[in-house]
Amino acid sequence: MATVREWHIDPVAFERDYLKPIHRVGTITSTLIFLALFLPSIWLYFITGVFPDWQTILTGFGLAMTYAIPFYISEPIAYYPIVGNAGWYLCGTIGNGSNLRVPCAAVAQEVAGVKEGTMEGELVAAVGVTVSVFVSVPAIFFGALLINQIQQFFPAWLMDAFNRFLLPAVFGSVWGQFILRGWKYAPFAFVLALVPILYKVHSAWALVICVLGTMVVGWAMLRFLKIEA
Amino acid sequence: MDWKEVANGLWIWICGGITSGLGLYMAYYFYKRAISFMHNSGVPKEETRSMVRGAVITAIGPVLSNIFIMIALAVAISPGLAFQREGVGVGSVFTELVQASNAAIAAGEKFGDPSFTIKGFAAAVFIMNIAGWGWAVEAIFTRYLGKAREKLTGGDPKLLAVIAACSMVAVFSYYSVSNAIKGNGFLVAVVVSLLSSMFLFKLADWMKRPHFKEWALGIAMFVGMIAGKLYAG
Repeated sequence: MATVREWHIDPVAFERDYLKPIHRVGTITSTLIFLALFLPSIWLYFITGVFPDWQTILTGFGLAMTYAIPFYISEPIAYYPIVGNAGWYLCGTIGNGSNLRVPCAAVAQEVAGVKEGTMEGELVAAVGVTVSVFVSVPAIFFGALLINQIQQFFPAWLMDAFNRFLLPAVFGSVWGQFILRGWKYAPFAFVLALVPILYKVHSAWALVICVLGTMVVGWAMLRFLKIEA
Repeated sequence: MDWKEVANGLWIWICGGITSGLGLYMAYYFYKRAISFMHNSGVPKEETRSMVRGAVITAIGPVLSNIFIMIALAVAISPGLAFQREGVGVGSVFTELVQASNAAIAAGEKFGDPSFTIKGFAAAVFIMNIAGWGWAVEAIFTRYLGKAREKLTGGDPKLLAVIAACSMVAVFSYYSVSNAIKGNGFLVAVVVSLLSSMFLFKLADWMKRPHFKEWALGIAMFVGMIAGKLYAG
């Protein structure tokens, strides 16, 4: 980052005029989105009279949770410090944290020249994440509506490139940006990422090891060597 | 009743519209709050416009990718369910397909098989949706994440900054390394996009053109993606 900007933000006003209403609306809307998760099944039942029995629900839920629970633990630890409160409400309910919300928050912070983990960083991350929602939700709607036209319009090689290589490229490019900002932690983060992968640790736990391990290193550097972020 | 007769009905588009509408409303409210607070704190409008431009440019690639990958889900189940799950859905397309398969297994059927019935479809709709309950619940309790962080750091701004910086580097180290280790085009995509991004961000600093940073991630990810594809063929 070239220059770190610090705006004159009143912490009391930040709490009263920004955080409080964000939490109020975020809690209510997230609850409504949670309830809306059940709507398709209820509606389908009224149309067809078919609803999965408890045995199916419990078995399917159990299988789903073996995959999801580790990510329920790892993702808030990993993303919340970057995207902040507004960003986490949206990551939790709308998803696509690593490939879309966090990169948009990061680039907005970079453009603004503010530091993550501060009040300025929280506000700018909110702008980055919300704008990504304004782009992604309508685009997904039209994408689903025009699926046949899309398949005809884009050449197969380009769609293959997107399907296979965009995600690693998103991760690589955001990593590059973050290495410039937190280069002193990068070698530790690299080793802490590589070792669990080589030992074939479950991906969500490997992410926890990498993130918490790097945080401990950062804490130790600050505590014992007085090295700040 | 054949499950394909109902799979893309108006009902599922309306369900998707409701969750998308809620998500968009929440995002709009947060956006207005953040922008007006920044303007009231003296941040010039040109700066906030620049943040928005940067986020829009960065979002284009991942969103296009989501649409292309969504085709697999739309073809496998229905465009309506794909929209309902992906518009404001928590899971990736891969996760959704795994959950649909899990649901079919639980219903004693096989997803993608001609014998797949409305019973399997109903199970898939239910399981795909509730599989994301944990993230939605975590979102509901976001305020406690902030309190937990305050408690852990004692509110020390230096430690808060360290935690955020470490988190940023670590998250993308992990995702990048786990992709790069697959070798071939994946390694090329990660390395080329990494170097391109570092170069472009540095270039913006050297040229003293901060607005160039709005384009840096968007360009770097496209360059990396094309390099990966060209290498892998």
